Amino acid sequence: MSFRNFAIGLTISFGLAWFSVVLLPFFKLRDLTPVAFEEGVDAKTGIYFPKTTGRVVDGARVYAENGCYQCHTQVARPTYAGNDLKRDGFAGLKGDPDRGDTRRESNPFDYVGLDFAQIGLTRNGPDLINLGRRLNAAHGPDADEYLYRRLYDPRLDPAVATWSNCPSMKFLFEKKEIQGQRSEQALDVEVEEGFQIVPGPAARALVSYLLSLQHDDEVPSSMNYAPVIPGNEG
Amino acid sequence: MATLENDQDTILRASIDRSLRHPVMFFFTSGAAWLAVAILLGIISSAKVHNPGFLESCPWMTYGRVTAAHQTALIYGWGCQAAFGMAIWLMARLSRQTCRNAGTILTAGHVWNFALSLGVIAILAGGGTGMPWMEMPSFAWMPMLLAYVAIVIGSMVQFKVRPEGHTYISQWYLMAALIWFPWFFGSAHLLVHGFSGSPLGAAGVNAWFRSAMLLMLFAPVGIAMAYYLVPKVLGRPVYNYSLSLIGFWSLAIIAPWAGMQKLTGVPIPNFLPYLGAFAAILFAVPAAMAGINLLKTAVTDLEKVNESPTLRFTVWGLIFLLIFGLASVLLNLPSVTRITQFTISGYGYDVLGIYGFFSFIAFGAIYFIVPRITRREWLSRRLIKSHFFLSIYAVFGIALVAIFGGLMQGVGQETFTSAWEDAADRVVPYAVMTTTCWFFLLVSNFFFFVHLTLMWLRLGRRSSHPTLLVEPHHHDPHGPEGDIDNAGPAVH
Repeated sequence: MSFRNFAIGLTISFGLAWFSVVLLPFFKLRDLTPVAFEEGVDAKTGIYFPKTTGRVVDGARVYAENGCYQCHTQVARPTYAGNDLKRDGFAGLKGDPDRGDTRRESNPFDYVGLDFAQIGLTRNGPDLINLGRRLNAAHGPDADEYLYRRLYDPRLDPAVATWSNCPSMKFLFEKKEIQGQRSEQALDVEVEEGFQIVPGPAARALVSYLLSLQHDDEVPSSMNYAPVIPGNEG
Repeated sequence: MATLENDQDTILRASIDRSLRHPVMFFFTSGAAWLAVAILLGIISSAKVHNPGFLESCPWMTYGRVTAAHQTALIYGWGCQAAFGMAIWLMARLSRQTCRNAGTILTAGHVWNFALSLGVIAILAGGGTGMPWMEMPSFAWMPMLLAYVAIVIGSMVQFKVRPEGHTYISQWYLMAALIWFPWFFGSAHLLVHGFSGSPLGAAGVNAWFRSAMLLMLFAPVGIAMAYYLVPKVLGRPVYNYSLSLIGFWSLAIIAPWAGMQKLTGVPIPNFLPYLGAFAAILFAVPAAMAGINLLKTAVTDLEKVNESPTLRFTVWGLIFLLIFGLASVLLNLPSVTRITQFTISGYGYDVLGIYGFFSFIAFGAIYFIVPRITRREWLSRRLIKSHFFLSIYAVFGIALVAIFGGLMQGVGQETFTSAWEDAADRVVPYAVMTTTCWFFLLVSNFFFFVHLTLMWLRLGRRSSHPTLLVEPHHHDPHGPEGDIDNAGPAVH
């Protein structure tokens, strides 16, 4: 084998794969075409193109910097790839009071606006793609309060106290002296007399982000792989 | 006449070794130091899985950051630097050229280490990018890439000006790795840092990059080194030369397609994970070709394999390569992926590749190369033996426990009728075992690092008898004393 043949062979074998599984998909996925709701078929009209706000993007950065993706995934896989749609709360709610069964698999629009789709490495902790939806259903308007406490020390939640190995994120919170009234945001946790624990800016961004994880919205029927069969709802 | 040629040959080899002494020793010793750092961080990270309160008050030691720093130190601190040391030495030896830019390589090695240190500190300080194996902030990759080019450019020139005639299979593997690495490292970092607005595309590039590090850097360098060491130490030709060439081309054709199977079920074009899984499964073919070819060579003289530190590590590295190939098949079958995709199996697979296959061959290479470039023999067979036995049990432990544990964990995750607590509980015993194994590896690496540092300080034995693991006929624990000069009578 001459060097010339070697170089040609290597360039073709690597270049072909590099172009077709790395370069092309990267740029294809970069400009997603908005999908339209179809009149008469879908309940909604207009186009489906969810947006992400700045606070949420900041929170996603806190999520990345602290390595949450080591133990938490953010994807509801289709049934051929796993049981995510059946696991309670992973893919949506089975019985939403307004919309009924909202469960659906993830779509590319679920990650729009972020720098990096935090698919995650393991599920040492549960999937989070619909964490916001789950918490809202369970805690209503107090969801953020619950989440702050949970981030401060996961084992304060009696439901998981005995087994959760989620690290506590106490460093995202600030211990402040109470001046006058207690802050509205102060956490309901043990702290020495005269002091209070309040979430810092990073904790607030993170909670905004985590509560924004509600990816069970209605999608156009053209990309809905589990359409509701009339008369078979619920 | 024959003796004269022999002498000239010895002189050439000795002068190549001398010209590379400082850069190669630099990569090996700083690599071993990074390995110690990686292991310490690995112990902390693994301990936190079963004991979340451990070091809880220290934000720098948060599980997510420590785990990222652990993997970064292991891959770029130890793995890459060991690969650089092996590659520049082996290419110079096989191309029969002395190194003429040792100063540049040393400087570039310092740049690499400096960028990496800042990167790891930044990860621990909370500045990581959140992309697995690419967690170092965006300032790090460009200096590292430039340092890499400065390190290997001499090796490419050496290959170009090598004497006419036979090209060794190791050289093809090395050249491929030297060309692939900047291509995938540079393009992956450029895409994710330079072009925003493709979150899923970036996740795909990242998954592909992780696979490329294993299959297109560590695999070819490790295989290249083994193709040199086994025949060299045994003094026998490779079992089947044409098989080694087929093995090389099958790796070149298969490996670049693998990686996206990590994103099975993620909303990216469907063919990507399938192609990735297909390629990852097919990786077993080049792995088996190299592994079986060399093990067939090694079994011709098992006594020598047993007594030579180099061969003992290298042969076990090849056995790990076969297991690594087998794990690639099992873990990437669609029916298994749906269970193990998001479990600790992936970590076990990575450890099997980096610490089982690649590092064992790197250790074998270090036990071979260091006496030649320092012209001193290893001090103690007991230190080598401790290093060997502790490493092999611990790596087997981590890899098998994590892969099997991940399977159990995955079954828990997929059983959607029982609470999530079941899946979480299933990890704990395996995590305890992993921590224990990392602790063994720490002890093992301590022996290795001390031994290597002594060699680096040129405090090795002045003898022409290599340190062998099997006691010959006398009872000196450090092996026989002999001629002062170990490079043969022709060199003074």
